[in-house]
Amino acid sequence: MNKAALKRMTKRTEFYIFLVLIAMCIAIEIISGGQLFAADKIVTILRSMVVDGMFAMCCLVVMISGGFDLSFPAIASLASCLSATICVNFGFCETNPIIGILLAIVIGAVLGMFNGWIISNFKLNTMIVTLATQTFFTGITMGLLQLKEITSKLPKGFRNMGESYLFEVYNAAGLRSTMTSMFIFLVLLCLATSFVLKHTMFGRGLYAIGGNEVSAERAGYNVKRIKFLLYTVVGAMSGFIGIIRVSMARQAIPKALDGKEMTIIPAVILGGASIFGGEGSVFGTVCAVAIITVVSNSMLLLGIGTYWQDFFNGLVILVGITISAVQAKRRNG
Amino acid sequence: MSEYLLEMSGICKSFSGVHALDHVNFAVRPGKVMCLAGENGCGKSTLVKIISGVYTKDEGEVTFEGQKITKITPAEATQLGIQVIYQDLSIFPNLTVMENLAINSEITAGKKLVNRKRWEATAKEALSKIGYQIDLYAKMGELSVADKQLVAICRALLFNAKLIIMDEPTTALTKKEVDALFKTVRQLRDSGIAIMFISHKTEEIFEISDDVCIMRNGKNVYSGPTAELTREKYTYYLTGRELVEDRFIPKNISKEPVLRVNHLTLKDQKCKDISFSLRKGEILGVTGLLGSGRTELALSLFGLEKIESGTIELNGKDVKISSPIAAQKMKIGYVPEDRLTEGLCLQQPIADNITLSSLKRLANSFGIIKKQDIIADANIWKEKFSIATDDVRKFASTLSGGNQQKIVLSKWLSNDLDVLILNGPTVGVDVGAKQDIHHLVHELANEGLAVIIISDDLSEVVVNCSRVIVMKDGGIVGEMTGDNITEENILEIIR
Repeated sequence: MNKAALKRMTKRTEFYIFLVLIAMCIAIEIISGGQLFAADKIVTILRSMVVDGMFAMCCLVVMISGGFDLSFPAIASLASCLSATICVNFGFCETNPIIGILLAIVIGAVLGMFNGWIISNFKLNTMIVTLATQTFFTGITMGLLQLKEITSKLPKGFRNMGESYLFEVYNAAGLRSTMTSMFIFLVLLCLATSFVLKHTMFGRGLYAIGGNEVSAERAGYNVKRIKFLLYTVVGAMSGFIGIIRVSMARQAIPKALDGKEMTIIPAVILGGASIFGGEGSVFGTVCAVAIITVVSNSMLLLGIGTYWQDFFNGLVILVGITISAVQAKRRNG
Repeated sequence: MSEYLLEMSGICKSFSGVHALDHVNFAVRPGKVMCLAGENGCGKSTLVKIISGVYTKDEGEVTFEGQKITKITPAEATQLGIQVIYQDLSIFPNLTVMENLAINSEITAGKKLVNRKRWEATAKEALSKIGYQIDLYAKMGELSVADKQLVAICRALLFNAKLIIMDEPTTALTKKEVDALFKTVRQLRDSGIAIMFISHKTEEIFEISDDVCIMRNGKNVYSGPTAELTREKYTYYLTGRELVEDRFIPKNISKEPVLRVNHLTLKDQKCKDISFSLRKGEILGVTGLLGSGRTELALSLFGLEKIESGTIELNGKDVKISSPIAAQKMKIGYVPEDRLTEGLCLQQPIADNITLSSLKRLANSFGIIKKQDIIADANIWKEKFSIATDDVRKFASTLSGGNQQKIVLSKWLSNDLDVLILNGPTVGVDVGAKQDIHHLVHELANEGLAVIIISDDLSEVVVNCSRVIVMKDGGIVGEMTGDNITEENILEIIR
């Protein structure tokens, strides 16, 4: 690696986030007396990263394009609970969950399209639009469709998918922990997102739009179409993630994801995505999600009350947006 | 084929009944620089947008390379070889230089995937067009304005540009950077590319252009070779009035200086051993190249620089100016560069803009402000500066540029001042409005205000100042008064 490249690397937020992650893990390991680097603990942390990590990818691409999506948890809830309810009523997915998954993806895509249509056609502030659609979608879930919690009646297909695992580990006390196979989806989504962002004109277009929308249009990008496509894909992904969550939790609860955006968005910002758009990477986002997950999972290890989690989340938002603002200032000034 | 690359005749365009362009004719010759001049809102940008295909003309004929063009999209304009470098340069500050250079042509080529090697090759090719060197992996936003501009030019050249339109490219550049840009422009011109150069600045137009087209109120009032135009005629065409730059003659100079600076040296050594005095009714010019310490000197008088040694006297008393608030209490006002153009809330009533900084004075003892008081106060200033509006409750955006400037000045002056420091008061202002501002400052001085104008626009300094100090490397290298103030004299010491 030459000197210039090294200098560029040290200028990137991702680099520091990675250092913070490593340092924090070592610190927790020492303070907790070696409880963090145990196979079962690691498996638990990776498991809790699946849903948050996948949501973070959706959030990341939107944020790179200069937008904000507050509606993805609402989309995930509506898509997954509606899909599960349909499956229960029609007796689908007793062995194979594929119909349920496809249903959730389609419902999510339709809801995302709605977001995309409003945002690209009326050129409105994305945060306001998605704040409205979030409430609107939740209204459909709770009021219009009156979707109920599904617990014991959840089709076997979902249950089996959620319970499937890649390997199992035992802790010192002999308790078994399993590595969920859903982790594969997280890895695949991260790789796919990274590829799209780095190696496709669509991905570079997201950065371009986030950097300067007018210039992107002048350069020849069809900004309207890109935005429409973006929110549609994010909607579809949210539906899919919703089903993953339902399968892993072995229950479909319409309100389970309420407020999820308030933990995901800070994580993405902490990971180096700029609130002004145009900046952000998969690596940084994954590191930031890992930091948040490790901390929230280690609070008990360290003997800190769970109430402190909100405090920590707030701190993360502050640190994240400060970094983001300082970077934007450096970039524009 | 005709000698012209681009010919436009009888172009009309109106927006909701208002004529933006009214039978405009002009032509661009290949291998020449054509300047499009005109005051704000005269239709320059509308014309550019018609050429580049953003707008469609209502009437008229466009011929490019001898071919008649009826309707054109931005993409087609690019294919024909028409490139516009907008004032904001249309760059992506968050992407690298390489990406900025290559992204347009990749999109135009309809590529779906990114091929680093091809991008790099494209970027290198672009830079080689004008023999310009820069780190391809640097972030665009971290470059200087001049570098950004060169990158934008290189990018335009990738499309085999035959006509490059530059929209006010020199606004944010220093003199040195402008010279470098002009060198590139000449280089492009000599390679046969036609350049359309849009500018406010008289000197630049005469320096760079072969032909000039002057527009006023949507009509072109002059087009022809620059050589046949004198500066006086140019100003006349531009503004529609005979502008006689009358020099400021101080009428009302006080005996005792209001401000005296003794051996002032700043902590950061940007100013060293500065001494001067300023009397009421005087306009003192402070000039020098960028980095000569002229701005720092002004800031130190406004409490924004740390002073190492030396003293400042106000009305004969030693004072310590520790902050802008302290400076304002001592009746010193400072209008920073670009504040005249940007210090306005355009979508707010004129009255609110004028009284913005004097709300404390207008409030009663409960801190409540009455609407009538705001209007009454604003009307006083409207009379005083003859602001052209029938109602101060109208939005500031309804005023012309010159009148907007008057609002900003009255905003600062509505708090009683002894010393007013103006830093680059007419940067980016067109000729007509510029003169309005100058007259205003003259009047203020003659009413007994002490004014300091900091500027690198020498003609501005010469016309407005009764005394000039020239700075270089943080020190005063010359002082002139009266008829000795000429551009030649200043240039001699500045270099």
